[in-house]
Amino acid sequence: MPIRLEIGLKPGLNDPAGQGLAHKARAYLGLRLEAARVLRVLTFDTGLDGAQLEKVRQAIFTNPVTEVSSFKPLAEQALPEFDWALWVGLKPGVRDNEGATALEAMADVLGRAFGPQEAVYASRLYLLKAPRLSAEGAEAICRQLLANGLIQTWRVIPRHEWDPALGVGIVIPRVELAHEPSLRTFAINSDQELLELSAARDLFLNPADVPVIRAYFNDPAVRAARAKVGLSDPTDVELEYVSQARSDHCNHNTFNGRFYYQDLVSGERKTVDNLFKECIKAPTEALAAAKDWVVSVLWDNAGVARLDAENNYVITGETHNSPSNMEAYGGAITGIVGVYRDPMGTGKGSKLVAGLWGFCVAPRDYAGELQPALHPRRLLDGIIEGVRDGGNKSGIPTALGLLYFDPRYLGKCLVFVSAVGVMPALVNGQPTHEKTTEPGELVVMCGGRVGADGIHGVTASSAGYSENTPAGHVQIGDPYTQKKMHDFLLEARDQGLVPYLTDNGGGGLSSSVGESARFSPGAEVDLKQVPLKYQGLDPWQIWVSESQERMTVAVRPQDEKAFLDLADKHQVEATVIGRFSGDGKLRLDYGDQVCCYVDVEFLERGFPQWEFEALWTPPAARGLAEPVVTPPAELGWLLQELLGSPNLCSREWINRQYDHEVQGSSLIKPFCGRGRDVPSEAAVLLPVLTSRVGLAMSQVIAPDYGDIDTYHMVTASMAEAYGRVAAVGGDPEQVGGVDNFCWPSIIYNPANNPDGRYKAAQLVRACWALKDGCQALEIPLLSGKDSMYVDGTLTSARGLRRRVSGPPTMMFTATAPVPDLEAVQSLEPKLAGDLVYVLGATKDELGGGALYGLWGQTGLQVPVTDFEQVREVCRTLHQALKAGLVASACVPSRGGLGMALARMALASRLGLEVDLDKLPVHGQLDHMRRLFSESTGRLVVTVAPQRAKEFEQLLKDIPWACLGRVTKAQRVAARSGGQEVLGLTVAQMRAAWRRRFGRMV
Amino acid sequence: MASRDKVKALVLAGFGLNCDWETAHALELAGAQARRVHISDLTGTARRKPTETLDGYQILVFDGGFCWGDDHGAGVLLATRLGNHLGEQLRTFLERGGLVIGICNGFQGLVNLGLLPLLEPGWPRQVALAANDCGNFQDRWVELLVEPESPCLFTKGIKRLDLPMRHGEGKLVCEPAVLTRLESQGLVAMRYGDGRGRRAAGAWPANPNGSMNDIAGICDPTGRVFGLMPHPEGFYRASQHPDYTLRREKARRRGKPLDPLSPGLGLSIFINAVAAAQETL
Repeated sequence: MPIRLEIGLKPGLNDPAGQGLAHKARAYLGLRLEAARVLRVLTFDTGLDGAQLEKVRQAIFTNPVTEVSSFKPLAEQALPEFDWALWVGLKPGVRDNEGATALEAMADVLGRAFGPQEAVYASRLYLLKAPRLSAEGAEAICRQLLANGLIQTWRVIPRHEWDPALGVGIVIPRVELAHEPSLRTFAINSDQELLELSAARDLFLNPADVPVIRAYFNDPAVRAARAKVGLSDPTDVELEYVSQARSDHCNHNTFNGRFYYQDLVSGERKTVDNLFKECIKAPTEALAAAKDWVVSVLWDNAGVARLDAENNYVITGETHNSPSNMEAYGGAITGIVGVYRDPMGTGKGSKLVAGLWGFCVAPRDYAGELQPALHPRRLLDGIIEGVRDGGNKSGIPTALGLLYFDPRYLGKCLVFVSAVGVMPALVNGQPTHEKTTEPGELVVMCGGRVGADGIHGVTASSAGYSENTPAGHVQIGDPYTQKKMHDFLLEARDQGLVPYLTDNGGGGLSSSVGESARFSPGAEVDLKQVPLKYQGLDPWQIWVSESQERMTVAVRPQDEKAFLDLADKHQVEATVIGRFSGDGKLRLDYGDQVCCYVDVEFLERGFPQWEFEALWTPPAARGLAEPVVTPPAELGWLLQELLGSPNLCSREWINRQYDHEVQGSSLIKPFCGRGRDVPSEAAVLLPVLTSRVGLAMSQVIAPDYGDIDTYHMVTASMAEAYGRVAAVGGDPEQVGGVDNFCWPSIIYNPANNPDGRYKAAQLVRACWALKDGCQALEIPLLSGKDSMYVDGTLTSARGLRRRVSGPPTMMFTATAPVPDLEAVQSLEPKLAGDLVYVLGATKDELGGGALYGLWGQTGLQVPVTDFEQVREVCRTLHQALKAGLVASACVPSRGGLGMALARMALASRLGLEVDLDKLPVHGQLDHMRRLFSESTGRLVVTVAPQRAKEFEQLLKDIPWACLGRVTKAQRVAARSGGQEVLGLTVAQMRAAWRRRFGRMV
Repeated sequence: MASRDKVKALVLAGFGLNCDWETAHALELAGAQARRVHISDLTGTARRKPTETLDGYQILVFDGGFCWGDDHGAGVLLATRLGNHLGEQLRTFLERGGLVIGICNGFQGLVNLGLLPLLEPGWPRQVALAANDCGNFQDRWVELLVEPESPCLFTKGIKRLDLPMRHGEGKLVCEPAVLTRLESQGLVAMRYGDGRGRRAAGAWPANPNGSMNDIAGICDPTGRVFGLMPHPEGFYRASQHPDYTLRREKARRRGKPLDPLSPGLGLSIFINAVAAAQETL
C-alpha cells in the first residue's frame, strides 16, 4: 500500500528555502508570509514492509542532526501555527530525479531489486504562517512561484480544511497508458490526403515536400522491395520519420534556402542560391583546407580544432528557446544538459570541459498589458536555476555567460547554451575525431529510457487528457544520469570499444539511428527492444521520442560483453536494439512486425529547396537619423546612468551560482579584479591539466546594432569576440567561431508576418557579414545553429492579441588557444603609475549604442568594422602580451571608452587619468562622442612606464595614443579642452553599477 | 624515490563525483601515486563483484561532486553506499593509520558516514552540513584561517590560505555539546576569515554559508581524518588564484617570473598528507 514520508528541518533550524519563498512572495507578489517551512515528501509505491520502510527512513532519508521525519503528517510539528499548506508534485511522466535516486539507494541498502510497478515519487509541502493570506493569494503562490501547470500539480489547503490524520493524502502520479501498441498504414491517394493527414497528426509537412514523399512510396521499385518484407503503403512510423527529418529544426531548410534579395533604394538585386553553402560552408571549407589546426568541421555534432600537439578541443552552441519559454527551469536544464551531449557525441567522444550561457529576456520589471506564458522575472529565475543545476551537477565549469534585456523577447526568450570538450588527438593510435559504422556492428542505446517525452502533444490529444496522461513536450534534464553516461562512454572510448557514437536529441532515435545508418549504410532495429519508462507506447512514438540523456553507440559484436559490463560498472543502462547492415535500407521491426523499410538515402533525394524574397530598405531610407544632441560639459552622470542601465550593470548573482572552477582548469574566470566581481573579457581554461596551452573563449551579441543594419551587427560582434579572446592572451591566428542565429520568422505572410521579407533581408545581410568577417579575420566556423521562429502571439486581459517578434539576434562565440600561458591577461590595471594606451581609431559611431539607448533612440551611425584594423590591433597586442609588456587589456564595446575605463577602475580599485584630446579619431568628435562612441577594433591597455618604449616600438600601422596614467586615487578622470569633463570615484561608479541587481543572491 | 615507495592515494570516482581528475592531479604533484577508482569497483554492483580494495593505499580521498545528484541531502547516498559495503575496510584502513580527506561533497559524505568528527566509536552522525543560509549555491573565493592548535595533519605549517568554495550545502550544524567538544579538543581545523586575517564572525559572504563559529573544516581527534568545504585542489597551482595576473605583474616588476603552473597554497594540504602518509610506509 502506498505510504508517504515527510521530512523537515528540526524546528529550531533556519529554513533557507522557506525564507526564500517568503522573500519572493513579498517581492514578486506583494504577499506577506510571516513564516514558511518546507517539507520534503516521498511517496513510496512499493512492496516494502514496515521494518524495511523504517530502515530506509533512518538510513537514507533522515539526517539525525538536522532533520525530523515521519510516516504521519509532520505539518503541525514543523510549523504549529501554519495557516496554509501548499502541496506541489510532478505530473505523471515528468522526470522525477529525486524519486529515481531514492529507489537506487533503497535497492542498495535493502539488497532488494524493485520491479517495474514499484516507484518513489518526490514532492514538496509548503507550510505558511500568513493569517491574512487569501485563497487567491495562496493559489497565486502556487501558480506563480512554486509550480508550473505544464509539469506540476498542486493542492491548496487552508488550515480549517486540514485533516491532521491524513495530511495531504496520497498522490501516485504513475503513467498508465491503457493502450495496446499498434502500427497503422495509410493509403495516400492524393497530395491533399497527405496534407490532411499531416494536419491531423501534427506532422507539419511542408506542402512542397508532399509530392516528393508520395512519389517515393509510389515508385514501383520501392513498392516491390517493400512488398518483399510485407509492407505496401507508408506506415505511421515512416511518416513520422519523414516529418522529423524534414523539419526546419533538423534540416535547416531556411539556411539551405534560395534568397532573392533586392535593395529597394538602389534597385540592386542578388540571388543567394543557398545561404548556408555560400556564407558558412564555403569560407569555412577554404579556411579548413588552409589551416592545419582546423581538425573537423561541418559534419559532426560539434566542430573540432587543435588545442596542442596531443589534444583537440570540441565546441558547439545551441539554443533551447521554445521549451524554456514555457517551463523555464525544465527548458534550461534540458538545454544545457542536452548541448553537453554534442561534444560527447563528436568523433568517438570528448570529455566535457566548459559550458557557456546567454539569456535574452524581456525586462525583469515588465508591467505591460500582454501576458506571456511566464513573467520575465520568473522566466529568468527559472532559466538561471536550470542552467545552474544542469551545469553544476554535470561537474563541468560554467565558464562564461551573458544576459540581455529587450522588451521584444517577451514573445519568446532566448536561451543560448554552448559546450566545449577536449579529446586526445589519438586514442589507441586512431584519430579520435573520426567515426564510422560498419555492417554487422550492433546498435546500442545508452542512458535514459524512452517515454512519450518530446512528442508534441500528439499523445495528449489522441488519448484525451486525464490525470494519468504524461506531460509530454516539456522535460526535466537529468544531469546525474548523464554524468554517469559521460564517464562510462569516455572509459569505453579509451578501451577502444566505441567506433561510432552520436547523441539522441531532436528526433530521438529516428535522427541518431538515421544518421549513423548512412555510414554502414543501413540498419535494422527492433523497437520492441528499446527500454521504456512505461508500457503502451506505439512504435512510432518510440522511434521519434526525444526522451533525454541518451546516446546511440555502434559496438562491434565481439565487444558486446565488455561494453555492457562496463555499462553495469557505471550503472548506466545500455541495450542492444539492432545492428548495422550494408544494404542501404533502414528497417525497423516491432517484435515480429515490420514497421519501416526505406532507403537510408531517401530523405536526401529530390526535396525542393525553400525560397524566400528578401527586400532591404537601407536605414536612412527607413527614416533613421542621428539624434540632435549638444553634449553637456560634464559627462560623469551619463556614465553613471550607463553603469546602472539593465544591460551594462552588474549581474554577478548569476555566474556566482555556477561552479566555474570545477575540474581545476580555471585561469581567467568569469569575474576578475580585486572584488572578483567585474565580468572578464573572455574566459581562459587549462582544459588539459598536464598541458601548457590554455583555451580562451568569448561570446558577444549586439541586437541593438541590428536595428540599423544586421550586417554591421554581425561584423561588430565578430570583431568584439575576436578582440576579447586576444585581450586574454588567445592567439589571433587560431581563432575559431560559432554562430548561433535566433531570428524571427522570415516567411512572408501579409496578415501574420507583413515584414517577413524585410526580416529575410536582415538574415541575408547578417550572413554576408558572417562570410566577410570569417574571410577577413580568418575564422573558420567550427559550429553553428539556427533557431528561426523567435515570435510569440500574446494576449492581454482585455482581449488584445498581439504578435511580438524578437529582434534578429546572433550570438558569436570565439575560441582561441593560449599557446603561451604567460601571455594570459585580465582587464584590470595592476599598478599605479602605469601608462594608459588606446589602440585603434575612434569614429562618430554612437548608432545602436548604449548612450542613445538611454534616451530610447537608435540613431544611424552604427559602428562600421574595419577588419584590417581589428586584425592589426589584436596581432600587435598578442606580440606585446607574449613579451610581457602589457599589464592589462580591455575591449571598449557597449558604452565605449567610458565603460571600458569604468570597468578597469572597478576591477582594479585604482584610478585612471586620461586626456580625451589625445584619442586617435577619424573626423571631428566632441568629448561625449570620444567617450561613448562604440567603434570596433579598439583596445585599452596599460603598460609599465619602464616598458613603454619597447611597447611603442611594436605599434606599427595602427592608430594609437598614450592617453594618461593609472593612479592610486580610486577615481576615473577624463579631460578635454583643458577641462575635466568626467570625474567619478570608484565608489560612485560601484554604487551605480550595483544598484539594480547588486543585492541578488 | 622508487615508485614502490611512493605514497598511494585512492581518489573516489563515479556516480556524480566530479573533482576526481584534478584532485588526483594535485596528489601526483604532491608526490603521491594517485588512482581514480570507481565506487563500483570498491563496492561491486548487483551483477559484479568488487575488483578493488583499500589495501595498499595510505590516503583515501572523498572528493567533490554531486554524488547521486545530492538528491536526498548532500553526501548522504555516498555515505549509505560506502557504509553499507566498505565499513569493515574503512575501519581497518583507519586502524592501520590511513589518512582520509573529504572535500566539499566528500566532507558531506564523511559526516554522514560518521567518519567525522569521530568523537566516539560506532561512527554516530553528529555533525551536518546544511543548506547555505543565503539559500543558493555559491562559487566564491574565501579566506581560511588555520587553527594552529589543531591536531590536523593536513594543515601543519599553514597559517592562512585562500581557496574557492563551491557548494549549496556547507553550513556546519551540530548540537551545542558537540560544538563544545569540537572546539575544546581542537578539532576545528580551519575557519572562514574576513579577508584580513580575522574571523569572519558569521558575516556573509566571508562566511559563505552561515557555518557555526565560522567553521570551514574539522578533523578527528587523531588528525588523520579531515574534511573541509572549500577546495584545496581548486588552488593547486598559482594561476588558479583570482589575483594571479596581479601577483605575476608584481613579480615581473621585481624581475622574477611567476610561472602559471607553479604550486598554489592549496597544494600544501596534499603535500602535508603525503608527508604524513610517508611515515606509515
